Amino acid sequence: MDDKKTKAGDWRSYQRVLLPPVKDLHKLDVYEKHEGYKALREVLTTDKWNPTSVTNEVKKSGLKGRGGAGFPTGLKWSFMPPVDPNIPRFLCCNGDESEPGTFKDRQLMEYNPHLVFEGMLIASYAMSIKTGYLYIRGEFADWITLMEEELEKAYAKGYVGKNIMGSGYSCDIVIHKGAGAYICGEESSLMSSLEGQRAYPRVKPPFPAQKGIWGYPTTINNVETLACAPLIINKGGEWFSKIGAPSHPGPVLYGISGHVNRPGVFEYPTGMLITDLINEVAGGMRGGKKLKALIPGGSSTPILRADMIEGVTMDADSLREAGSMMGTSGMLIMDEDVDIVSWLRRITHFYHHESCGQCTPCREGTGWLENIVTRLDEGQGQLRDLDILLDLCTQMEGRTVCALADAAAWPVRYTIDRFRSEFEAKCSTETVPSGGVLETA
Amino acid sequence: MPNITVDNETLEFDGRPRLLQLCLETGVDLPHFCYHPAMSAPANCRQCLVEVGTPQINRETGKPNLDENGQPIIQFMPKLQTSCSMDASDGMVVRTHKSSELVKRAQKDNLEFLLINHPLDCPICDQAGHCPLQNQTYKHGPEGSRFEFRKVSKPKQIDLGPRVVLDGERCINCTRCIRFTDEISESHQLTIIERGVRNYPMTPPGVEFDEPYSMNVIDICPVGALTSKDSRFRARTWEMSKTASISTVNARGSNCYYWVKDNKIVEITPRTNMDVNEYWLADEDRLDYRIFNDNRPLGPTISGADVNWDAAYKAVADCLKGAKGDRVQFLGSAFATVEDNYLLSKLATAVGASTPMYLTHTEAGRGDTWLRTDDRTPNSQGCERLGFQPANRSALRSLIQSGGLDVLYVLEDDPVASGLCSAEDLAGVKVVLHYYNSTNQTLPAADVAIPAATAVETVGTLVNDQGHAQRLRPAKSIAGVNRTLSMEIGKCRADRHGTPFDKWYDESNLINCQPGWVSIPRIASDLNIEMNYKGPRNIMAELSSANDAFAGATYEAMGEFGVRLSEIGVTA
Repeated sequence: MDDKKTKAGDWRSYQRVLLPPVKDLHKLDVYEKHEGYKALREVLTTDKWNPTSVTNEVKKSGLKGRGGAGFPTGLKWSFMPPVDPNIPRFLCCNGDESEPGTFKDRQLMEYNPHLVFEGMLIASYAMSIKTGYLYIRGEFADWITLMEEELEKAYAKGYVGKNIMGSGYSCDIVIHKGAGAYICGEESSLMSSLEGQRAYPRVKPPFPAQKGIWGYPTTINNVETLACAPLIINKGGEWFSKIGAPSHPGPVLYGISGHVNRPGVFEYPTGMLITDLINEVAGGMRGGKKLKALIPGGSSTPILRADMIEGVTMDADSLREAGSMMGTSGMLIMDEDVDIVSWLRRITHFYHHESCGQCTPCREGTGWLENIVTRLDEGQGQLRDLDILLDLCTQMEGRTVCALADAAAWPVRYTIDRFRSEFEAKCSTETVPSGGVLETA
Repeated sequence: MPNITVDNETLEFDGRPRLLQLCLETGVDLPHFCYHPAMSAPANCRQCLVEVGTPQINRETGKPNLDENGQPIIQFMPKLQTSCSMDASDGMVVRTHKSSELVKRAQKDNLEFLLINHPLDCPICDQAGHCPLQNQTYKHGPEGSRFEFRKVSKPKQIDLGPRVVLDGERCINCTRCIRFTDEISESHQLTIIERGVRNYPMTPPGVEFDEPYSMNVIDICPVGALTSKDSRFRARTWEMSKTASISTVNARGSNCYYWVKDNKIVEITPRTNMDVNEYWLADEDRLDYRIFNDNRPLGPTISGADVNWDAAYKAVADCLKGAKGDRVQFLGSAFATVEDNYLLSKLATAVGASTPMYLTHTEAGRGDTWLRTDDRTPNSQGCERLGFQPANRSALRSLIQSGGLDVLYVLEDDPVASGLCSAEDLAGVKVVLHYYNSTNQTLPAADVAIPAATAVETVGTLVNDQGHAQRLRPAKSIAGVNRTLSMEIGKCRADRHGTPFDKWYDESNLINCQPGWVSIPRIASDLNIEMNYKGPRNIMAELSSANDAFAGATYEAMGEFGVRLSEIGVTA
């Protein structure tokens, strides 16, 4: 392997910080022994810190959201309007992790829950928020129980609640259980769900910082994003900004699944070479097979062919150049035996099943995509189906309230774009008349 | 004044209107489904997409950057925007389907999506003919469909409540009905259930959609998903004529359209009047139309025997001729128009009787803070303004029972049914009755019975409980020839159907009745009393200048939406 191209530096000797190798770290007493709530104490009780300086430190760290969009976190925090004592404001931690191929947040919730709480409290302090919601998807039943138990202990110790550590700052954390819908991971939909409404995404603007939960200023961050906040306070924004790729710094949980010898969640700096991740971190391809394709960051990020990943590192810039996105860094590895059409069929089924049905293009388009891909997969498709698929993608992309339509259309567009011959090979050889269907321009 | 440019045309505006609303008001026909001016804009149908650009603002000066021609540089947003959810702002540049291929394509694409799971049952759908989905597909939609799969199956013929039926498959999930119950009526009786393409509106478990305004969702439904249990499958849109008039079920006088087929009222739908009922109509206003169709009289009668009109008028005149003025009681009517009551009061004065009284009809608890009132009559305020007093029922009853009356002249009301007195009490009194329905319980006691034209067959004015004077227009014809009515029918129907001059004219179900402004002057002429009016228009013209309580209420001024009269006793 050519280490010169990696942006992760000496990653082999990297010391884990998000998920350090400490037994029973999820327990409060163990966490306390390992610098637990030290960052919070420092922020709340020393003069060095005030809300602005915390936000500035996070800005300095260059932390970008780990939920998929990669928006600079410090900047997001600074979008909150000035404090008005009569207007409540909310933090929401998005633990509705449900993108296919993504399974990193649950590791944090299972193995380092107090880091998440501490991160939420620091973020709340930075934005003068008094209530933080932790929205966890309903399927994570075990982790919800665990988080609730640990939160109770943190309350008992005075880390959460009224007058934290005697600082005069009070902040509550409320764990909210979702009912199991992919769309609830979309921030505005999550707010609707939290309010007890049907989880339909909302039109933006107004953005959550102006009009969020119950119409009040709200900031929504991913679990992993918030978990970085205590680290930034403890070790400094500068330390953080020097980890991994300079334009997209920090530790990242890589969720590697698929046809590798050692699938799992691995913490490494950003900017890791994809080839390193597959061949060394994940123990190489299973059964010595050849790599065929991979999804770098959850199912909606564009698929990459094996020949497209040489020298590509896991950070926003490099992946954009390669024709994909960082997403949630949930990597899906596929070997040479994978039928890509069949794979796409499963993905289109997922988005069809999970479209909330609010906007026309997504509601109708996701089902139609699945119909056609299924027909192709079953060998009944026609060549013209590929053109219709690409047309439908155009008709869906960027024309809906939220990004689910884009997330559903991109896998189809890029899979056809990058594996067209496989689709053509699966098309029916019989020429079927178009059934009197009029061509639309 | 701030302005925006739409397809190279400049539109001026005030305040912060929504872009779609501004376009619609200024004649730019943007297709849309989910947007309704009275409700929030969730922007979910995605049909009103346009290209939007705003002037590029220089960060240092805060002023727009100019190009070499001195024009502001316009920065277009990378994605198409829904015009319904966007506020118009000064200098905005908008490209619609008229100037942008991209927008044209997007509208077509969206309609293709809307139609793939929409059943092709227009031939049996009540909405066909006035269906936004149908119309916009004709205007902007694709020519055919590329969809070659089974459409989604959803529940059909579901009774959401006693008055509204759902066809889930026709629904395009615009959520207008949901938002109506959430934001307008606040009954919260509807919600969307299921997910994605299986979505459809439904009541929560154990809840019936029975609020008193439930049928408004039928009107705002942009497809035929929500239909009226009462009128569904009764007539196709194009078989009916539609007349802009007002409802007479309660004192609010909500503006409505009467839909007529074969001279029968089939359906009543709301007509927008921002001063009275905005966009809405109570269910009771829609369902009480059978009095116009059923149990109608066959012609005038004297003591129950059929006679011709001349004989009937003469009989009324004879009744009044022999009687002393103080032994004649005229009852005006809060069901009748201002014009008819006015003529009645003139007749009363001419025969020396006191000013007519009128019977009140109220039902406590029927009213609410919105469009329904306890008063079950459409014109009690009109009667008040004419100086009529509500009848003191017990005093009038004793007068009748003690033989103090020779003649009781009843205009379009039913004293027996309303409990004023019994039919037996009236045995010694000569009763003249103008009536609508043969079920009128005073009819057996009537000496002369004159069939009266109902609110849908006459021309006239009603004053609602807020003092809003509004015009009634004839929705259907009556038997015989009446030039005034024929002219009005031809004039006031938006579709111009149903006049004697077009092929839709129907001879069936014509009722042998007369408006008060025909019958009362005829009776007056038999009594040699001068009462010469060309028609109700002139009556109202005279009244509006002679009586301060009706100042300004000419037909011309009332027009489509009526005029707000000054408070009683206050000079305009």
